[in-house]
Amino acid sequence: MMDFSIKTGKMFAIYALVLGAICLLAGLVEILGGSGEAIPGDVFGGFVLVVMAATYLAGVKGALHGRHEGLSFLIGGLFLTSVFGVLYLLMMGADGLMYLLGEAEALPALTEARPEIWIFILSLPLACRVRSLTEGMTW
Amino acid sequence: MPGFSGEDAASILAERRYRAIADMLGATVAKGEGRWTYTDISDHVFLHRWLGIPIFLALLWAVFQFTFSLSEPFMVMIELLFGWLEGLAEDGISNPHLASFVAGGIFDGLGSVLVFVPPIFMLFLALSILEDSGYLSRAAFVMDRLMFRLGLHGRSFIPMMMGFGCSIPAIMATRSIDGEKDRMITILVSPLISCGARLPVYVLMAGALFGAERAGMVIFSIYLLGIALAIIMALVFRRALFKGEPSPFVLELPAYSMPTAEAVIIHMWERGKWFLARAGTIIFGTVLIVWFLSAHPWGATSGGELIENSYIASLGHLLEPIFMPFGWDWMAAVALLFGFLAKEVVVGTYGILLGVEEASLGESLVSLGLFTPLTGFAFMAFVLIYVPCVATIGIIAKETNSYRWAGFVVAYLVALAFAVSGLIIGVGRLLGFS
Repeated sequence: MMDFSIKTGKMFAIYALVLGAICLLAGLVEILGGSGEAIPGDVFGGFVLVVMAATYLAGVKGALHGRHEGLSFLIGGLFLTSVFGVLYLLMMGADGLMYLLGEAEALPALTEARPEIWIFILSLPLACRVRSLTEGMTW
Repeated sequence: MPGFSGEDAASILAERRYRAIADMLGATVAKGEGRWTYTDISDHVFLHRWLGIPIFLALLWAVFQFTFSLSEPFMVMIELLFGWLEGLAEDGISNPHLASFVAGGIFDGLGSVLVFVPPIFMLFLALSILEDSGYLSRAAFVMDRLMFRLGLHGRSFIPMMMGFGCSIPAIMATRSIDGEKDRMITILVSPLISCGARLPVYVLMAGALFGAERAGMVIFSIYLLGIALAIIMALVFRRALFKGEPSPFVLELPAYSMPTAEAVIIHMWERGKWFLARAGTIIFGTVLIVWFLSAHPWGATSGGELIENSYIASLGHLLEPIFMPFGWDWMAAVALLFGFLAKEVVVGTYGILLGVEEASLGESLVSLGLFTPLTGFAFMAFVLIYVPCVATIGIIAKETNSYRWAGFVVAYLVALAFAVSGLIIGVGRLLGFS
């Protein structure tokens, strides 16, 4: 039984597949020691990205068939993406505050933004679409 | 129910009870158009067979990153304030004894503990958000699968999670556990869950020895070590002391909800205010004792300058051989000894012994060669495991109605602390770390 249209489901599935693949790639690079300033080596951070990837990818099949089970994984992935995207943005803000207090040499540069922040920004259109689909849903 | 074990009978009763409730609701309640709720959707993911535990670990890691990284600038502000107050005291008080007492005892000792107000409140803020959203009870449910497979009781995880704040309410919360054996096991392992009082030690050491970038990861690994040790020791106690099957775990999961700022702040304050209360009482009292012992005999120490001639140094040198194999000196021995009264005092003791401003405390630990990353990590593990604070021992004696069990907890934790820290040092040295 379908819970939303196949067309919407296909769009969700492709978006989830792309986000999942990016998370997986970035996560593996972080676990394996990082690559330059953009993706730092961070075992736990990489683990989190792999978990995000698994959550998105677990929803691809269900979303393709227009089922709520698929949507639930997408929402779970979006939730994790938001938590870590906002967390790293706040951490950049804290670094900025450290600079103002004279405890850091420079303001945090945009090039040093963690991949989780870019993935969060990339996920926003999907989050908006999912939000409109679930409008009126109760807790 | 003949033919069923105790566990089966309880599970079947619970299942039938819920089926009867569902039948009654089906006959009397008309559902709206939306068949799915946010709670259904979220539980599909957060309680997932394979993803549930990794998501829990990911969120726990987010909590520690949030705690450490976001509190840093606020800690710096408090450090600057106490540094300024210390300077005022040194310059403005002419009596050297009184100046040493105010600058060294109050501002160095108490200040080095109070700088940890921001991370403690940040930790409780994050835990309150998780609790108010309805996720924390899911975490217990998710961990129940793992714990039940290990022969443990799922409900034990709820008091254990409360132990992230303070061991005392965690131990009192074990009253909700039905089986006496399950309850006893939970009480015995609860001190292994790292309470908020130990956080200042981790924040200081991890920041100084591993850098701000990796500090969150190091603190997270210490908390995971605590959870892992609690599960292992519970398993040992189940096999050795409290044989039998755990009773079944029935938990009513609340619906998810959006936490409100007001409720989260109230919960954070309710949990965090104990730290301020302790800072004004037991911590303040203990750091004054440490200051007195470090500055006297007044003549021999030249007013606290020559700390090697102080009473506290003599005490530390007496204890030093016990900790020498771990690479820790007499100051560590003294800090651990006074940490028995309250764990925050470990940091306060270092503040007084090193006689530096709060901002330089971490740097001094490294520059004076008191710790390497390996010996520092082993020290953090020791602080995590060794004896709980006096108040926790008291509550264990009260809840078990036995001073013997309280004594047993102290004995096994001290033995475990030496074993685990020794293992960390041994394996680290084998891997080439100094």
